Amino acid sequence: MKKFFVVFLTLFALALTACIFDSEESVMADWLSAQGIPSGYQVQTLSVNELTPLSSEVFLDSAPKLANDRVVLGKTANISHDLVFDAAFYDSVFFADLKKTDSVEMFLALHVLKPFYLAKQFPADSLPLKENVTLTISWKLEKGSSKSFVDSVWDIESETWLSDLKKWKPDSSADTTVSVVISSKDTILKVGLPAGLVSAMKDFSKACRLQLRVSAPEASRTYRFYGVETAKYPQIWASFPKDKSFIEFNPFRTAHIVSSKETCSDCAVLHGGVYDSLVVEYESAPIMKALSDFYGDEFPYTGEAGDDVRQTVVLAQMTFARDDSQGTSELGLPIQVVVGSYTDSSGKSIRKMEAYKLNKSLIVSKGHPNMVFYEGDSLTLQVTYGLRDFINRARDGRTFKMMMRLGYPVLQDKDSTYADRKVDGDTSYVFFSHFDHARYDFSSSMKQPSTLKLWLANKRGDK
Amino acid sequence: MKKIILVLLGLVAYSFASVIGLDALGEEQTAGGMASTAGRGYAGGAKTGDAEGLSVLNPARNAFDTKVVFNVNFLMDMVVLEKKSDNFVVNNISMPSFNLSFPMGGFGAFGLALWQSYSSNLNEEVSEGKNSVETTIEYQSSVYEIVPNYTFRLPIIRNFSVGASAHVVMGNSTRKISMGPDMEDVASSDTWAVSRTELADYVDGTWEIKNHPAYYTAAIQYRGHQSSFYFSYTTPHTLLNKLDYNFRMSELDTLAPTKRSREVEVPAMLATGMNFRFMKRNNVMFDLAARGWDKDIENIGGSFNMEPVTETQKDMLVALGFQRDGSPMFYDPYLDRVTYRLGGWYKTWYVKDVYELGGSLGAGFPLGRKGTTLDLSFQGGKRFADSGRAWEELFFGVRIGLMGVGSWGQTR
Repeated sequence: MKKFFVVFLTLFALALTACIFDSEESVMADWLSAQGIPSGYQVQTLSVNELTPLSSEVFLDSAPKLANDRVVLGKTANISHDLVFDAAFYDSVFFADLKKTDSVEMFLALHVLKPFYLAKQFPADSLPLKENVTLTISWKLEKGSSKSFVDSVWDIESETWLSDLKKWKPDSSADTTVSVVISSKDTILKVGLPAGLVSAMKDFSKACRLQLRVSAPEASRTYRFYGVETAKYPQIWASFPKDKSFIEFNPFRTAHIVSSKETCSDCAVLHGGVYDSLVVEYESAPIMKALSDFYGDEFPYTGEAGDDVRQTVVLAQMTFARDDSQGTSELGLPIQVVVGSYTDSSGKSIRKMEAYKLNKSLIVSKGHPNMVFYEGDSLTLQVTYGLRDFINRARDGRTFKMMMRLGYPVLQDKDSTYADRKVDGDTSYVFFSHFDHARYDFSSSMKQPSTLKLWLANKRGDK
Repeated sequence: MKKIILVLLGLVAYSFASVIGLDALGEEQTAGGMASTAGRGYAGGAKTGDAEGLSVLNPARNAFDTKVVFNVNFLMDMVVLEKKSDNFVVNNISMPSFNLSFPMGGFGAFGLALWQSYSSNLNEEVSEGKNSVETTIEYQSSVYEIVPNYTFRLPIIRNFSVGASAHVVMGNSTRKISMGPDMEDVASSDTWAVSRTELADYVDGTWEIKNHPAYYTAAIQYRGHQSSFYFSYTTPHTLLNKLDYNFRMSELDTLAPTKRSREVEVPAMLATGMNFRFMKRNNVMFDLAARGWDKDIENIGGSFNMEPVTETQKDMLVALGFQRDGSPMFYDPYLDRVTYRLGGWYKTWYVKDVYELGGSLGAGFPLGRKGTTLDLSFQGGKRFADSGRAWEELFFGVRIGLMGVGSWGQTR
């Protein structure tokens, strides 16, 4: 009897298997169709023309930033770049020697960032570069009496230090003129420290903290140097000519402080290489009207509790008119415009950086559409996340807000990979790895109408 | 026995479920989906005895039990969907119920069941489409009930018992249809933006009873020397399915959902049954249950051209069964100790124009001498459907039930 069961069940299993292998996927597709489920979601495109911003506003983050890798000093594109060095040292012999002599000299040595100046993208006729620049040097000194004083300075969190620098009140300051020479050779900028600073240090006997701020308010360009975390770090030297000896004590961190010298407060001007952003806001009505005309439904969605999921944005791009003539750049390369938009996150508005989907055939023929200082007269930016969130939640009357800023200079404007990669063992770079301290005026772009193009996936059924 | 279990495990890999009413409530697990009851065509609600366990339709039955009974059921079912000469197969494995009953002598009996009363299950991939993205469709919806049950024999007329149970409803439902783009309406210069972009229509939600903690069943049972019968009434109730609708790019890239609650007004149910015992251990039984749906059921729907409602009809179960009880004497030959079952049923679904005709064959195999039984039932049949959306279904199912009968708290 048991054997009979085993044989019976095994035959059943085989019969079932036969049935299964007989089924066809096309039949399943027919069944889905009978249930009203299509084989793909419907995609449609919609252009919303003549959009003018409700507002456009620039925001420059002028808070001091830590800059320990590469540092910038000078002024260009209406932005000045100052540096503050923080150094602490314990050396009672040095202070004793300092007191004994009048002929001591102190100077700051900055190593020129050669990879930038020697890059083939740097205008070749600019080197050698010889200029006299007037620097303003201000300082703050703190007296210490032990090694632990140095440790206590090192223990100050950088965030705290940067925050304190916002209220910079130096002990004193002095102007000095230096000769900046940048050539293909290794070059060092030697900045003599003011006599006032040296004599102030004579009052010290064991330990000292020196915060040194260097500005070049009258410079006609920026100068780039290595930072404290590189092999060619900035150094502070004391030279004793009498016995031909040197003492070196070095800053352990550097802050970079920018300030705007723009005179037009209403202008939509962006600067490269700084934390600068242009926030553009659009009102809801024209976009809602275009959607309403397109679908024949009510927009914004006012249905049952919740937000609009009748469709979603697969891709969105905003195209602005572009006029490069009002801009200036150091390198003459096209510059990528980085874009973000404001989306909702648990009830809070957050800025989300947008993804960039590549339109390869367009890129190969005409270059990336998201660059300034380039051929053509338009700038196209993808704002998919922002528009997706905006249309989804438009019932609360929100506006659409996007943000743009200048990114890295682009070396391969028609490269459709948009990523550095290995080619024949060498790295093929899409972007130049140094920012261009450019200035770009979007004022005229903001005054002209822009076009929003949407790729929409639709869940509506046939009407 | 080991061989039988091995073959059954093999069958699990090829097991399947109904797709009728997926967007409404799904498939009903008739009579709690117990393997023993299913083996006799879902008849036998009136049959008493320790080996019967708890009945979700007849809460008065276990008043006559003398021993603690534990029972767990598994279902593997296969459905072949048919339309003309085309067919395809979908599958399901589920645990429709488990239950416990505790007789307390003069204090009556207490029972507790977990019952998957309705379920929608589907998980299929279709690569034929208008693009390179596979369409996948997933339904996972279960209306679960926790059913506490109390029953006692009436004083004086001791062959009558009354019982009642509360059905506390819970559960969740998920529907996910992910697919690629249909770019018929997109200019060829614009297709780059959406090619190979997969999107999912996603709905998820929970089940509960509206405005009430539970719905209830009350029953009266008569146990005679040869014949037994019961009658039960189940209160009408409204199931509440709170749903969030979404259209999402990925699990981390979703929209803020649209919320909607659908209410399913389940009508009252009347059930009755009788059992007639003859020649000591042979039983014939007949059961009838009916529920008069008078309102359409709102579907999950909400997307594409999916139907907004499922039309209903009176749902009814007519079941006829036979059971030869196994001998309780452990020294009898094994085949004599096996319980044999046979039955058939006719059922009209709650979905309009859907009828089911099925037959079953079952057996209860005693395992050892401690009162443990393995119930097996094989069932098959056809669901006739007469609409474009619901296709006819040939179904075959294997149910396995494990029943333990023990004497807790008693010393020998």
